[in-house]
Amino acid sequence: MKEFEPKIVCFLCQWCTYAGADLAGTSRLKYPPNGVVIKTLCSSRIDPQHILLAFTEGCDGVFIGGCHPGDCHYQTGNYKTQRRIMLLKTTLEQLGIRPDRLRLEWISASEGRKFAETMKEFTAHIQELGPLPKANLTEE
Amino acid sequence: MQLPYYPGCTLKNHAKHFEDSAIAAMERLDMPLVEMEDWVCCGTVFSMSSDDLMLQVASIRNLVRAEHQNLSELIVLCSMCYNTLRRASDFILSDPENLDKVRKFMYLEEKPFDGTVEILHLLSVLRDRIGWEELGRKVVRPLANLKVGGYYGCLLVRPEKYAIDDFEAPTIIEDLLGALGATASPYPYRLECCGAYQTVTNKDVTVQRTYELLNSARNAGCEAIVTSCPLCAFNLDQRQRETIEQFPDFDPMPVFYFTELMALAFGANWDPEWTKLHFVNPEPILRDKGLI
Amino acid sequence: MKRIGVFICHCGVNIKDTVDVEALSEFFMSRDDIVHAEDYMFLCSDPGQKIIKKAIAEHKLDGVVVASCSPTLHESTFQNAIEEAGLNKFQMEVANIREQCSWVHNDKPAGTRKASLIIGASIEKLKLNESLEPTSAPLTRRAMVIGGGIAGIQTALDIADAGYEVVMVEKKPSIGGHMIQLSETFPTLDCSQCILTPKMVQLAKHPNITLHVNSEVKDISGFVGNFKVTVERKAQYVDPDLCNICSDCSTVCPVLVPSEYDEGLGWRRAIYIPFPQAIPASFTLDIDNCLGLSPIACGKCAEKCEANAINYDASPTTFEVEVGAVVVATGYDLYPVENIAEYGYGKYPDVVTSLQFERILSATGPTGGVVRRPSDGAEPKEVVFIQCCGSRDPEHHLSYCSKICCMYSLKHAKLYKHKVHDGQPYIFYIDIRAGGKRYEEFVQQAISEENVLYTRGKVARIFNEGDKMVVFGMDTLTGKKVEIRADMVVLAMAVVPSYGSDELAKTLKAGTDKHGFFNEAHPKLRPVESLQAGLFLAGACQSPKDIPDAVSQASGTAAKVMVLLSSDRILHSPIIATVDDDLCSGCGICIGTCPYGAREMDLLTRVALVNDILCEGCGACIAACPSGAAQQHNLTDDQIANMIRVIALGDE
Repeated sequence: MKEFEPKIVCFLCQWCTYAGADLAGTSRLKYPPNGVVIKTLCSSRIDPQHILLAFTEGCDGVFIGGCHPGDCHYQTGNYKTQRRIMLLKTTLEQLGIRPDRLRLEWISASEGRKFAETMKEFTAHIQELGPLPKANLTEE
Repeated sequence: MQLPYYPGCTLKNHAKHFEDSAIAAMERLDMPLVEMEDWVCCGTVFSMSSDDLMLQVASIRNLVRAEHQNLSELIVLCSMCYNTLRRASDFILSDPENLDKVRKFMYLEEKPFDGTVEILHLLSVLRDRIGWEELGRKVVRPLANLKVGGYYGCLLVRPEKYAIDDFEAPTIIEDLLGALGATASPYPYRLECCGAYQTVTNKDVTVQRTYELLNSARNAGCEAIVTSCPLCAFNLDQRQRETIEQFPDFDPMPVFYFTELMALAFGANWDPEWTKLHFVNPEPILRDKGLI
Repeated sequence: MKRIGVFICHCGVNIKDTVDVEALSEFFMSRDDIVHAEDYMFLCSDPGQKIIKKAIAEHKLDGVVVASCSPTLHESTFQNAIEEAGLNKFQMEVANIREQCSWVHNDKPAGTRKASLIIGASIEKLKLNESLEPTSAPLTRRAMVIGGGIAGIQTALDIADAGYEVVMVEKKPSIGGHMIQLSETFPTLDCSQCILTPKMVQLAKHPNITLHVNSEVKDISGFVGNFKVTVERKAQYVDPDLCNICSDCSTVCPVLVPSEYDEGLGWRRAIYIPFPQAIPASFTLDIDNCLGLSPIACGKCAEKCEANAINYDASPTTFEVEVGAVVVATGYDLYPVENIAEYGYGKYPDVVTSLQFERILSATGPTGGVVRRPSDGAEPKEVVFIQCCGSRDPEHHLSYCSKICCMYSLKHAKLYKHKVHDGQPYIFYIDIRAGGKRYEEFVQQAISEENVLYTRGKVARIFNEGDKMVVFGMDTLTGKKVEIRADMVVLAMAVVPSYGSDELAKTLKAGTDKHGFFNEAHPKLRPVESLQAGLFLAGACQSPKDIPDAVSQASGTAAKVMVLLSSDRILHSPIIATVDDDLCSGCGICIGTCPYGAREMDLLTRVALVNDILCEGCGACIAACPSGAAQQHNLTDDQIANMIRVIALGDE
């Protein structure tokens, strides 16, 4: 049987993590091709509904990358993101989706290696979890 | 109004005059001190030297018994007992795990420890419940012309959290002395350590401290100093024996408990038994000022 | 439906090696919603751009996706190209298939699959892109500088020299700030007044600068480029234009008040000139201490004034100034010395603050520059300097380092040594922080050649014994107690934001940190701007600074202000928040999430508004909007959802 290839959507803020992902590219660091990027100006643009939509539409994992605390280009956007994601994770659990299918990381523009490593690790983790069950099935 | 009080061991022997004078003084303020029942040693500051829970049990046992006797507060005279009881209580109450352990260990005691008893030093009671002005009005024998220095040592104001007054610039003893009619001069060493238990193993340290400390008070114009700690009193008074031997230029100086001066001011008579517990005889100066 | 063209770049072999570009262009060509697709070796090259432009014309495209390198490299290149072809620049999307695809993967089929998803998502975004133009607003080409210390003076002069009008507002009767009080400056020991007064005069005479002293900012409205600032000026009892500073008035004034300029070590009259070189060069009347304005009460000064400059009937005035930018340069004050009770300030006259010692050292000070102690006027033979008074003490005072005290305490010690040759200065320190050009050399020279004695440790208490100040401290290097019998003690008090700046921050709606220092927009990359667009910072109001740092920041601030004022309209990216009035419930959640104050409520319609110029487009309010009324131009919820669907579908 073909190995499970998870579908992952990555929301990256354009100031830090998107630039970090670019740096991973210019440094030719390799990571699995499962994550596809949607660029936002700030991680705080990401509505929890977008994340829920990704899961309902068939994504197996959602990754969010923002600036390190204190580094946000918009001063406090990443703090807002952190709070929203924390709350959303409890909701995910209630919906029967494992909260570790959603990952928030602070990755700066200089952390190309961290981006590549995180992608490897997160993809492997989702691979291990297997596909997100389609209908109202609760995960273990 | 009666004040439930915890004497501690020293006040029953070496510092009997501290207790006696306090009882005499508070009687005259119509706030008699009533000794709590079944008290034991506070554990002394040694119990604070490590985070060992078992060392706190002595303090806690006193508080449990006070709770059992339906006391909501406990007035303490000795600076060290005050400090030890408060810190032990805080140490246990600040951590649920500590509290749980102590309760389990002391399950044979009459009551589990709840930490409901407020621990207060007599000095803060005088300030907060009576006030210096009111105290001044109750003085029948003003300590006029008596020039004294308040001595705080460490335990009344350190650590900061348990200080009974501003920990860097306290005035509570000077305020009391002022209310009693005495002239209280601050002097540089009033917050310096007396040497504490160095007196047991390293006597010379305390002798040196006594010399510096009392000279500092004398240079500021003090004729005597006033304390609330039996250990400080021991170091500063009894150690003058060695100080005189080691420093020929040293001039002895009497050391009072604040309660002794309160007793005199509020009309009690000096008990000659108190004199016996002093090394430097305080009677000449008291006589000189017309207080006895 | 939009007519979309897809252009896929080989980037030589950089993309082509991992992504099957030909197959992709075939695939997209076959899609119903794509009008045209092609691939080319280097799309960013001139011929590459021509291909795009030609296809736009030929196929009547109204939207373009360019699959190539990261948009940070060539987004503007392709935007220009499609603009030349007559399209709005927002009708182009870059699909990043190099940095985020071909360069990070090895497997060609997988890379191709991922590239198709990236391009597919970009197509979905492009479908709903609107054509936008930058928002713009007119701009008042005038700046206001609040505070007339060295930072404010430098900012004002730089902006004015560039040809823009500057309005300076100073709370005190003269500009000059704390720098005018200083004796000499480290590390060169040149006279502070000698280097400052020429700048003050230059400011006063500058045709582009209007100076308002005794004035305070009371209100501000509007936004970047278009502020309306309300300024209140205290009653001007002495007309500065008429006053010829003859000092006849103060000679007859019967009132003595401790002089602010001399930090309370000297006296002044109720009608006085703050210091001889004051700008404006005029006497001023201190109404709080004057016996009374009615000639019945006193009136001696007006009687004496031959220039008729004194007018008791003056009243406070309030006026409005329109400016495009506001610079805060409110400087610092010293931490209240009474807070450190153990040092006995106030009780012992010979315990003085660092600013008081500056006055004692200064040739224009109360002792004429001769070092004398306040209590008996004797020359102090031993002086203890205590650093970090209030600084670096998170438990009881302030957690931060005040930055300038190490250097000025040493400067004090040196200047003292230069004036009292047989004197002995001692300095208690925690660390010596001499990070600055020629600072470390300044320290080393003092230790090796001037016999300044450093003791590492803090002072516990200060007491007097006779006419000596006894300083109890701890030498933490030897672990020994130290006791110094000194003649005088100088406390290097911590630097705090100037008193009243918290009120100003509220008025200006500017952010401050927990200590009250104004917040910069970014700690590293935007150090002179505040988060409020059009509001700039200079000098110690942002953090403790020495003179070189304050002046550098001031010039930097001036440069930023000049950029803003350099055109008569202010342009702003249109990628900002918008509100659908019909959906908005007026809950106001968006207002609290905005870090820029760009969201406000229309109180009449209960619809939340967006200020197009203030909004930076972060999107925090949009994600917070519970009714979906708030959207971001060209990154709407629908666009994001459609992109998610492409990715979620994968290659199924």
